Amino acid sequence: MTLKWLRSIPSWQITLGAALLVLGFLIAAQLGSEGPRVRYTTQERTPLLETATELQAQQDELKARILELREDIQAVEGQGAGSADLVRSLNAQLEEARIAAGLIPLTGTGIVLQLDDSQALVPPGTSQADYLVGSHDIRSAVEELWVAGAEAIAINGERVTPTTAIIDIGSSLLVNSAYLAPPYQVTALGPTDLYDRLSRSPGFIDFVRARAEAYGIRLSFAEPESVDMPAFAGTVTLRYSRPLASPSATPAGATSGSPEG
Amino acid sequence: MHRTRSQLAMAAVAVALGLLVVVQLRAQAGNAGLAQLSTQDLTVLVANLNARNDQLRREVSSLEDELATLNQNRARGEESLDELRADLRRVRAYAGLDPVGGPGVTIFISGPIDGSGVEELINELRNAGAEAIGVGDVRIVTGVVVTGARGAAAIAEAPLGEVFELSAIGAPDKLTGSLTRSGGVIAQLAATQPDVSVTVTPVDRIELPATTRTLVPAHGHPRL
Repeated sequence: MTLKWLRSIPSWQITLGAALLVLGFLIAAQLGSEGPRVRYTTQERTPLLETATELQAQQDELKARILELREDIQAVEGQGAGSADLVRSLNAQLEEARIAAGLIPLTGTGIVLQLDDSQALVPPGTSQADYLVGSHDIRSAVEELWVAGAEAIAINGERVTPTTAIIDIGSSLLVNSAYLAPPYQVTALGPTDLYDRLSRSPGFIDFVRARAEAYGIRLSFAEPESVDMPAFAGTVTLRYSRPLASPSATPAGATSGSPEG
Repeated sequence: MHRTRSQLAMAAVAVALGLLVVVQLRAQAGNAGLAQLSTQDLTVLVANLNARNDQLRREVSSLEDELATLNQNRARGEESLDELRADLRRVRAYAGLDPVGGPGVTIFISGPIDGSGVEELINELRNAGAEAIGVGDVRIVTGVVVTGARGAAAIAEAPLGEVFELSAIGAPDKLTGSLTRSGGVIAQLAATQPDVSVTVTPVDRIELPATTRTLVPAHGHPRL
């Protein structure tokens, strides 16, 4: 009796019914997920979230613009004719200084170290933060890589420079004031035995014991044929420091104490 | 007729379904990171992003000026030696290849501090906008790390001893404020390494040496 009744319903109605059922679930899920946000709307949170998202987009644009301008400048400088020897020598010095400062993207041998939050269940009464990758972990990894002989390092595309700070923001990170979330990929350029040197380092062994073994922080390595090192897309203009007359810049009669410019 | 109507209804439901699936997935994927931040963290993030973007904007406008000057000189058939020299001086100072001088702070440290304690101080100095940092005759550039257990801190493998000074160039009030704020890095060190004393003094002028390290990687070449 029931079967007969079912058979009498056109098949498109069954399909439509099933689709409507899914639709209903999705609407419910959508409304459900919007619940907390609706509650925040009355407070200062939503505008803050919007401002942060907008500022992040602006930062990305500014960084792209800086890289573009630097490339253009380099191209124009490289075309300098005239007293060719002097210009060529200055350009060669500039290229070297830019590489030293991290302003030029590089490629070479190296390793990628990935750190991700633990998936272990946090026992009651313990700190959840111990099970997450924090700024201290990334700084330890970076320090160990330098000690092992890394020559250039980047974290999720942010080049580590002499002015790079790595700080916590919630359970994520700010590196060069760029917001980064796990997993974190620490890319290091260095000798072909960089991985061997790192894995033999007592400091790194301690780090693995303290974080990966004790709390389940997920550590993994990749040793690709070559690694790409991004350029630093930030400011190199110093506002408080003035170069002192250095022996290389002014060979004759310069005292190290006299400021220049 | 009947068939067309059913097909239209199906199409309408399919479109609505597709839209909702996308909206739902976007809501879960996009900005998942930011959404998990507390209001307080978001405030810190916005302040950080604002300060950084101002800095990046200044860099963009100075690079635009530089490019304009270079192009003008080229159009006139002139060389840009002054611009090249200025550029070289700026980049070398930033990288730590030339000695620099300016206002900043000196941090007097005494007691058996460990390497990671010194690294915490250095990281906080950078976070507060320090432009150049040094210990004694060592300029702290990329690759220079302070290591060692308590009482055995060493920089680039040279022992620091139990009494030494860390110097940084930058805005003295900002550097001092950032280091000494309540709950800040010095307060944390006082809690974890109570036998170490850390004193920050703003100074009008300090000079830091150039690095002696080779900063050009031997295992990489420019990517074109």
